[in-house]
Amino acid sequence: MSTQEQTPSVLKRLIGNQQFLLLLVWFGMVAFFTAFNSIFFSVAVFGNILLDWAPVVLMAIGQTFVIVSGGIDLSVGSTVALSGVTAAFFMQGWTTDGKNQWVTILAGTLVAGLVGISIGLINGFLITKAKIVPFIATLVTMGAAAGLAIVYSGGAPIAGGPEKAITLSVPWFGPFSTPGLIVVAIVVICGLFLHLARFGRYTYAIGSNEFAARTAGINVNRHYLKVYALSGFLSGLAGMYFYCRLGAGAPTSGYGGELDAIAAVVIGGAALTGGVGRLSGTVLGALILTTTTSGLIIIGVAPDWKQVVVAILIAAAVLLQGSKSGTRGKS
Amino acid sequence: MSTPLYEVRNISKRYGSVVALDGADFQINAGEIVGLVGDNGAGKSTLVKCLSGAHKPTSGQIFLDSQEVSWDSPRDAIEAGVETLYQDSGLAPHLTVGANVFLGREKFQRGILGKLGFLDNKNMNKEAHEDLERVGIAVPASSRAISQLSGGQRQAVAIGRAVSWASKVIILDEPTNHLGARQAGEVLEVMKAAKAKGLGVVFISHTLPHVLQVTDRIVVLRLGKIVANAPTSEFDAEKLLGTITGLNQLQ
Repeated sequence: MSTQEQTPSVLKRLIGNQQFLLLLVWFGMVAFFTAFNSIFFSVAVFGNILLDWAPVVLMAIGQTFVIVSGGIDLSVGSTVALSGVTAAFFMQGWTTDGKNQWVTILAGTLVAGLVGISIGLINGFLITKAKIVPFIATLVTMGAAAGLAIVYSGGAPIAGGPEKAITLSVPWFGPFSTPGLIVVAIVVICGLFLHLARFGRYTYAIGSNEFAARTAGINVNRHYLKVYALSGFLSGLAGMYFYCRLGAGAPTSGYGGELDAIAAVVIGGAALTGGVGRLSGTVLGALILTTTTSGLIIIGVAPDWKQVVVAILIAAAVLLQGSKSGTRGKS
Repeated sequence: MSTPLYEVRNISKRYGSVVALDGADFQINAGEIVGLVGDNGAGKSTLVKCLSGAHKPTSGQIFLDSQEVSWDSPRDAIEAGVETLYQDSGLAPHLTVGANVFLGREKFQRGILGKLGFLDNKNMNKEAHEDLERVGIAVPASSRAISQLSGGQRQAVAIGRAVSWASKVIILDEPTNHLGARQAGEVLEVMKAAKAKGLGVVFISHTLPHVLQVTDRIVVLRLGKIVANAPTSEFDAEKLLGTITGLNQLQ
């Protein structure tokens, strides 16, 4: 016996689709800010929004995997700082040695990624071996990495690396810069792995019911390690991204980034209880966050209002989720 | 009698100072349904976890097809053909029926995409549907999420998955719990079908009429020890209850 599924109307499906609603919200914001100041609707402003968007979305991609798996990663902002500072020292050394600038930038990217992976693996070990809940485990590494970044750098930005790094952050493809395009490619690849590959399937399964995943023979601990390492790696890349933007590795880069990343994921429709979330939602969530910041500045409102707008968006996203799971429970 | 298909000998499990299982022997033959009963805390769940590879016994031996085995994880037992259906649903509610049936043994796309881990959902959904249908239970569409199913449908998927994957032994921990009479009847039929297929079926249940109805042999656990192991024909409801509670000894 097979139960036939009823297909809801197109309109109904669109209204129930969080990504569609987010897109509407974003279009609404663009229209709103443009109405107040027509300068907003320009390639230059969108270029600036995307420059802000890229590092947030890098942290938020990893955070999406982590949150879908049922965890949380508070260490991403500090990872940005520590990896940026470490890569800056490394590239300073290679520049003094007179090495090729592009090679130095590539090697610096690798160093930043490795620092991120290391922090991610420490998170993974604290969670799977020491059995510390993700919130506390990543709170520990968040503090440690932020502290190390300040001590290591002496509290000041580390410059003296390849001069060409900063030229990378100039938009040339419409509003996109080279690092921005790389981030778009990373988004697409991670989206494919989250939604169509076994890596993503296991991430959802563990977040949905860890016991079921274990008894189905999935190596859950190893998967947690991979997920937190991915989050660390992408945050490391965000550290390198900030380096390219500033031309220096600053211990303050990525400050508060974990909250932006988590906000983007939650606005994007993921549930902190795990098993739910779409990467497209996260991407739009991050876009809405950075559009809010730029928009408020352009229409002359203090950017501190961003926190209030973000708070309202998070509340709306959570309410929407609650109403969805409510109807699901009834059926 | 021939050598058992699956056997544990003198198995014990301690959690700190608590002895959950105390020198238990347990056998299951191919094409046999064995009822495993006992009061709460008698050690049923612990024995199930040792059989399924979820726990490593503190001492004792495990034999499958006369070969001594040792499970480091449920994966090991699953690969050897021992499937377990746990009391609290072993399904991921956010995943679809098809994804759950194939959880842990996914099918991949052909070629380079498959090597990268990309899944062949279409084939998995189709095969999941066929597998469940073959087991003989009401099957929901493979593309529906488990969270959208009723309790009975969820249980049907869980049992269907276990039966279709098991090649030797299937362990069912309270499979008729929370089910209506008709659905429970269906589950009992599925167990008979698994037996006819030549599987060894371990049936753990508090619902004694179900146990008496469908099993060939009944094993009773009390306080971590096996206190009875006899053909079902030697039990009636009263005697079985007496053995479980230990009140028989007072007579």
